[in-house]
Amino acid sequence: MEFFNKIPVMDRDALRELKKGIDFSFKNFSREYGDAIESFFDPLLTFLIFLEKLLVNTPWPIVIGVFGLLAWIGSRNYKLVIGTILCFVVIGYFGMWKNCMATVAIISVATLVCIVVGIPIGVLMSKSARAEKTILPVLDMMQTIPSFVYLIPIIMLLGIGKVPGLLAVCIYALPPVVRLTNLGIREVDKETLEAADAFGATPMQKLRSVQIPLSLPTIFAGVNQTIMMALAMVVIASMIGVRGLGVPILQAISNQYLALGLMNGLAIVALAIIFDRITQEYGNRIQRHRGTTKK
Amino acid sequence: MKLKRILLSALFVLGVTSYGNVANAKCGDITIANMNWASANFMAEVDKVILEEGYGCTVELVPGATMPTFTSMQEKGEPDIAPEFWANAAKVELEAAVSEGKLHSINKAPITGLGEGWWVLPATLEKHPELTTADAILKRPDLFPHPEDPSKGGFHICPPGWNCELSNRNHFRAWEMEAKGWMIVETGSAAGLDGSIAKAAERGENWFGYYWSPTALIGKYNMQAVDMGEYAGKDNWDNCLSKPEQECANPLKSSWVKSEVYSVATDNFKKTAGKDGMNYLKNRTYPGPVMNGMLVWMGENQAEGADAAIEFLKTKEDVWGKWVSGSAKKKIKAAL
Repeated sequence: MEFFNKIPVMDRDALRELKKGIDFSFKNFSREYGDAIESFFDPLLTFLIFLEKLLVNTPWPIVIGVFGLLAWIGSRNYKLVIGTILCFVVIGYFGMWKNCMATVAIISVATLVCIVVGIPIGVLMSKSARAEKTILPVLDMMQTIPSFVYLIPIIMLLGIGKVPGLLAVCIYALPPVVRLTNLGIREVDKETLEAADAFGATPMQKLRSVQIPLSLPTIFAGVNQTIMMALAMVVIASMIGVRGLGVPILQAISNQYLALGLMNGLAIVALAIIFDRITQEYGNRIQRHRGTTKK
Repeated sequence: MKLKRILLSALFVLGVTSYGNVANAKCGDITIANMNWASANFMAEVDKVILEEGYGCTVELVPGATMPTFTSMQEKGEPDIAPEFWANAAKVELEAAVSEGKLHSINKAPITGLGEGWWVLPATLEKHPELTTADAILKRPDLFPHPEDPSKGGFHICPPGWNCELSNRNHFRAWEMEAKGWMIVETGSAAGLDGSIAKAAERGENWFGYYWSPTALIGKYNMQAVDMGEYAGKDNWDNCLSKPEQECANPLKSSWVKSEVYSVATDNFKKTAGKDGMNYLKNRTYPGPVMNGMLVWMGENQAEGADAAIEFLKTKEDVWGKWVSGSAKKKIKAAL
């Protein structure tokens, strides 16, 4: 009867030894390879610092002008351009310019890393059922595991600062672009592929000239989601020493500064809306183009 | 007739006193702030066991952090006890609440030998024995490279929003650290700050920054306090160093203000737990080394405060035995 009432528990001491053992081997690993891993990420760190310094040190009208231009290139929608410029001016006016630029820098680099890493993985998944089967659970884990759990080993390996923050963001933000790349390529019309085969296209040609262009809108939806999720991680990244809009939010949380928290929170929302609308408009434009060619 | 009356009144008195006893033994419902750092977590768990087993209270732990908990205690009278309250964070407000009778600073030294300040790792001192004072360390930014710009020295400060974040930023200006080639390392959170120390200690790197005792890290890595020189007066500290940067135009360099840590309880606790509970809180003083030892034990065994409380009560009877009454001690021992 006791068996049914009490779940079998591992011996307390054995459990403790197990936990200690895992920690100990990880510590050894970090002592052994930490420096090497750190220097592997050095170029990324240099780039991040460069981008942040560029954004902070360039005179603000130029930065805002560039953002407006990017908004125009992305959306061809003057309302969006005006909105973007207005948002950045307001953010600057409320004294959040520096933090906002730091956040923009890390979000842009994180998105770039996710695209560079995520799209090839997505393509691989679409090509091989076995790859899909093995990668999917990993993606599930990346999206659901509480970020604090992987922050511990990341700090032990890389310390605190921009690179560990970037990694934390990427772990969370990578899955959508992978998933949607995979989905987009799998959803390409079978008949179109048959036609490509009939013309004697090699698999590489098929991928580059047929599958990727046709799945671009879906891939773009993935990129959009990745940016959104990266922005959602801003506060968590600040917890391991990334400068940006997350820092004042942490200050606000520990001191109940309502206004400070709200203002910086809304600045993140503004960034999210700007990024979201521009990328969505861009995605739509690609789709429109496809629609006309189909007809 | 007279006899009857005497008997009745005697019965009545007996009833009242025994009722009183029952009420006392029952103690009542108490909430304890379970602060989000290890020593306070441990103390809350010990208080829980002792008040429940020894004094018959029903104790619930509620999560807390210094300022939110204090605000809640002051405004709503809940939680009832903050076992380790760093009073410098809200000195004026606490004094006001105490004089109103809402709160009671029952124990003004729940842990001995605690303090804040700047620390370095012992390995650093072995290689550079001259680096015992802040002035000496600040001359050598090259030994403590900043992670983002190795040409500068990295000075680890408190996570954003902590009171010590403000004072460290002001110290940074007071000691003219920027001109001396230093840069602030943003630590982001307690985990970030601890992680930076642990990483440096495990890899044999140098580390310089703010920390405080009693903590597991101080005990575990045998961290050494940096001599920050003279304390430059209360006015400099209260009206400048502990204020936001824009309100502190001319900070003077100074050693850290003496930490005042109290066990604070609400009036409700005084009523429900009565004299016995108050006496326990008053007597409960952890010697610094014992506390650091428990924290190291928690770290090594990845134990929660609850496990540590049991371990402490089992092994350190000579410490806690003096805090409680004889009958409570027996009950607690039996419960273990």
